[in-house]
Amino acid sequence: MTDLMAITALGAVAPYEFQIGGLVIRENTELALASLSLGRGQGAPTILGTSMPDVGQWQAGPEVSAFWTAPNQWFIEGQGRAHEDFAAIVKAAAPDCAVTEQTDGWVAFDVYSNDGFKPLEGLLEKLVNIDLDGFEVGTALRTGLHHMSVYLIRRSDTHVTIMGMRTFAAALCHALESTAVRLR
Amino acid sequence: MTRLTGGVIDHETALRFTFNGKTYSGRKGDTLASALLANGVQLVGRSFKYHRPRGVLSAGSEEPNALVTLRGGAREEPNTRATVTELFDGLVARSQNHVGPLHRDVMAVNDLLSPLFASGFYYKTFMWPRAFWEKLYEPLIRHAAGLGRLSGEADPDAYDKGFLHCDLLVIGGGAAGLAAALAAGRAGVKVILADEDFQFGGRLLAETHQLDGMPATSWVTAVMAELSGLENVRLMPRTTVFGAYDHGIYGAVERVSDHVSAADGEVRQTLWRITAKRSVLAAGATERHIPFPNNDRPGIMLAGAMRAYANRWAASPTRHPSDPVIIFTNNDDGHRTATDLLAKGVPVTAVVDPRDDAPTFGAYELITGVVDDTKGRLGLTSVRVTQNGQSRWMPCGALGVSGGWNPNVHLSSHHRSKPVWDEALLAFVPGKDLPNGMIVAGAAVGQGTTAKALRSGMEAAVSSLAALGISAERIDLPDADDTAAAQTAFWHVSRKGRAWVDFQNDVTVKDIVLAHQENMRPVEHLKRWTTLGMATDQGKTSNISALAVMAELTGKSLPETGTTIFRPPYTGVTLSVLGGGDTGKHFRPTRYTPTHQWSASQGATFVEVGAWLRAQYFVQPGETHWRQSVDREVLAVRRGVGLCDVTTLGKIDVQGPDAAEFLNRIYCNMMGTLAVGRVRYGLMLREDGHAYDDGTCARLSENHFVVTTTTANAALVYRNMEFARQCLWPDLNVSLISTTDAWAQIAVAGPNSRTLLSRVVDGFDLSNEVFPFMACAELTVCGGLRARLFRISFSGELAYEIAVPARYGNALMERLAQVGADLGATPYGTEALGVMRIEKGHAAGSELNGQTTAQMLSLGRMVSEKKDSIGAVMSRREGLAQDKRRLVGFRPVDKSEAIVAGSHLFTQGETRNTTTDQGWITSAAYSPHVGSSIAIGFLEEGDARMGEVVIAANPLEGREVRVEVVSPHFVDPEGGRLRD
Amino acid sequence: MLIPHPLLGLRDAQEFTYLGDASLLNRPDASSPDAAVAFYDYVYLRDNPAGVHRELWFHEQGDRSWLIVTRNTLTHEILNAELAFKSAVKSEVLA
Repeated sequence: MTDLMAITALGAVAPYEFQIGGLVIRENTELALASLSLGRGQGAPTILGTSMPDVGQWQAGPEVSAFWTAPNQWFIEGQGRAHEDFAAIVKAAAPDCAVTEQTDGWVAFDVYSNDGFKPLEGLLEKLVNIDLDGFEVGTALRTGLHHMSVYLIRRSDTHVTIMGMRTFAAALCHALESTAVRLR
Repeated sequence: MTRLTGGVIDHETALRFTFNGKTYSGRKGDTLASALLANGVQLVGRSFKYHRPRGVLSAGSEEPNALVTLRGGAREEPNTRATVTELFDGLVARSQNHVGPLHRDVMAVNDLLSPLFASGFYYKTFMWPRAFWEKLYEPLIRHAAGLGRLSGEADPDAYDKGFLHCDLLVIGGGAAGLAAALAAGRAGVKVILADEDFQFGGRLLAETHQLDGMPATSWVTAVMAELSGLENVRLMPRTTVFGAYDHGIYGAVERVSDHVSAADGEVRQTLWRITAKRSVLAAGATERHIPFPNNDRPGIMLAGAMRAYANRWAASPTRHPSDPVIIFTNNDDGHRTATDLLAKGVPVTAVVDPRDDAPTFGAYELITGVVDDTKGRLGLTSVRVTQNGQSRWMPCGALGVSGGWNPNVHLSSHHRSKPVWDEALLAFVPGKDLPNGMIVAGAAVGQGTTAKALRSGMEAAVSSLAALGISAERIDLPDADDTAAAQTAFWHVSRKGRAWVDFQNDVTVKDIVLAHQENMRPVEHLKRWTTLGMATDQGKTSNISALAVMAELTGKSLPETGTTIFRPPYTGVTLSVLGGGDTGKHFRPTRYTPTHQWSASQGATFVEVGAWLRAQYFVQPGETHWRQSVDREVLAVRRGVGLCDVTTLGKIDVQGPDAAEFLNRIYCNMMGTLAVGRVRYGLMLREDGHAYDDGTCARLSENHFVVTTTTANAALVYRNMEFARQCLWPDLNVSLISTTDAWAQIAVAGPNSRTLLSRVVDGFDLSNEVFPFMACAELTVCGGLRARLFRISFSGELAYEIAVPARYGNALMERLAQVGADLGATPYGTEALGVMRIEKGHAAGSELNGQTTAQMLSLGRMVSEKKDSIGAVMSRREGLAQDKRRLVGFRPVDKSEAIVAGSHLFTQGETRNTTTDQGWITSAAYSPHVGSSIAIGFLEEGDARMGEVVIAANPLEGREVRVEVVSPHFVDPEGGRLRD
Repeated sequence: MLIPHPLLGLRDAQEFTYLGDASLLNRPDASSPDAAVAFYDYVYLRDNPAGVHRELWFHEQGDRSWLIVTRNTLTHEILNAELAFKSAVKSEVLA
């Protein structure tokens, strides 16, 4: 184990958390990520019991989850495994696929509502230009948010994850927080 | 007070407000205009050019006259229409465009000088003498121009933006819009109903029509109650849909809190981008007036507006309750104002109607004739009525004028659809080729009776949903009036005297005659020559009247004359809301490097590099000039060891069996032969043969490469590589993904770099034999942390770049500085980085500027002849292959002189012009190593001119420096240092 | 504008980056004798029709697919959109 101390994408020791109205925004620093791409002619693998979801979908699984990012490409998620060599774990499960470490490429903000989807809808319609009617539980997509590129995952009725590029974490955090504040 | 009874205002809730410093009382539900009228205030402003006293003309967003400045201080908001300003307690308003008090405007002298100010006077008057323009005329005109003034302070309010998606967008919440929204709402589809007003109902609130034998407002209340209860319907009052864009995208501004006293931090307005599968435009109609001499006095207003003030706002248009009201109309609808006002107890003495067959609807005198002059400087006192050639002056406190109604076709024409003339309606109605998915309903399409508006709105919704494959049931509509108002084509009263067409821009019938004489006859010329239809109201009340006058003059019909082009926005949109909520440093997102915090703790000064914020240099105690810091950092690297965050370089993971072949085609040089565990410099060309990016490529395993790009081109290179992969060579088995942010990368450069690194790696052999120049490896550091190590050098010294997961970047930097203290470990920034790469003659952005070739960079031999790669063929074409400019170095002959980047190079003694130009300086810096200013740049036949002295000319600053042509490698030209 | 992404449905054009004429897909053979002329045409000569145009759009804020979009430049009507990726295994499930 290294004796270097990791910091969050926002440069802090502890994950960011912000609560306002019926919304909680929480940085998820324990989410491991690896991208997985199929080579020519390969079938989609099953990674630690999780099959690769269809276009635009997120698939929860027993050990890892996965969401579609591009034709023949997915991001594999390992909650609580950010300090492991997650890409190596995924690569071991799919040795023929191209696997790339992505854990530190992204900052993940989990946004929770304590009152159904409505407050989340109110927040998201101020941030992203997507048709929220089609943004059902199990949907994953990439879009623009304040000139940044983000992944959105609808994990449940009351839980959406917004992932942005790690070096943009402060700007993304500001966008989420200030928008939530303006919802008052 | 001229407050009437009834209406849809709350008589119990009084709101205090001030106008020009005087305090008045209004009612909840009032607009500023209705409240002023109810207080007997007719004079509300001064006109643009002649400073004529003006009053309220309309009851909506078409208002040309009643423009006021709201609030004060930094929140001061000029040119706000009093007719759409929702009254709130504490509202402060001031009139505009006058010097001295409103009722004694000094600038009113302009009115006496009006013959001088005819349209086009700018173009004729301010031509000579030429020198006067900048010093006199322009400042004078600028001072006089405009109506309200800006506060000049930063806007303290918050703004927001957002995105909405719906099946049906209904624009306008009058009879047609409500019927459309109700039909669609009941069908269960996602509906947005937007109206610029703060109350839904449109003209139903302003008329005395009955629906199913009940007041129309009862029906509105019931419908709104139902719509409010529907989850699938979003009601957006105070929301102006201002533009129709491609594929069903609409721009809208919601005035979230303009109607309350400003609270800090509260959103004032929200800009919405609405994506609608279908839309119903139910924007209603705007009444037009009839130009006649002196028709612009306070107290003269549109008849429909007068009716709206009486019926909806319980406000009489006169200053005193006993003042008589007269109506001048060419249609039946104007008569309705007379009957409605009489019913409210307002004394209407006469209706003047030019039609021989004009009907009478009530107890008023019907005069078959015209109004052709008025009196009353600050408010109407009498009007001259002419009947059969006989004129008489009649006392009059307010005159209602109606020239018919124009459908609000604006949004239907935003995609250049030309409105078509309807001879029966005497109006332009929407034409063909409407914006995608739009259906126009109600008065906006000439279906102006209440019954027709309701029906056409409902049918528009049903048709819209049918187009989406949804069958919507027709709803039961209430019984409503269906009497079309008869009218005649009577456009203006031809009499001597100024008859205003466009009140806001002070354009009169005479001006249009003049435009005609000057041959400014096409409508677009007419508009620009006279300024007709410009400014905040965009001629909503004036355009058609003006066209009619021009048609009359040219002997053409109205449809032949045509309309000007309708463009967004429908009404004015504040720049603040377009700018959105993120201002200042949040205007665009910032990227921070993984070692930002440590850098800040070390005294870094940061510099913006694209979106990135990078450490530029680190000021140490005692350093008073940035050069001291930079020189120290450079020397520290060359003598000991330096540390620099280079995470900003783009990193692209390339994997797959064909990765090597793919990279051969991407880079102009051979990359496929690169051995595993090695790094190679690579140059990328554009397909036109010019160089565009460079970097390193590391082979981590047989099928796994990591490509680095320049900071600026990271996104572009990735995009181009995806283009090559997907579009050019889809047969290659390769996958790409960006990994820029995942790794914190730190350059460890200088003679002590190996020693320093040996203190953090976990038993990794860094010896030159095992890990030579241009080696790479995956390893662990600091007790098991995954890392990548590259032995590459930008500085020309023994150097490495080490990458660790981004979250550890800050800690690793801190550790390296700590354990390297005895080795002289020194943080350095982009400035020192730049100096060292110039000292080493490495190309960067200034050299790879898109105009240069591999040959010019003296990298021509890199372009492999053995393979095809992007840009290879074109790089060999004559024009590029024969370019003799080469990247060389320069030193000032006089060591005390500084070379300036951007200087152009000339042979000594040669005249200086573009044909004798020998090249230019791309980058320059003070080199602490050389002890003088140095530079690199492109020089004709530069490689053959070593030792020659040329001139680096900087004509912008009137300077020149004699410089000696030298090798661009100022430091260690043999490259021994980086290989040892 | 809205681009009908063949996999993701209607997506706002703001998510895309525009490149130009889809003839850029037809990169000439560098080994052919007339390569110099062919590349000159390929790089510099393009049709710029007022009307139906096949063009390349990159879904940069999305799935990073290059699309061939057939668009009427006069009306902005989009007649078709397909993935530019045309590999030998194109018929396989792309998901």
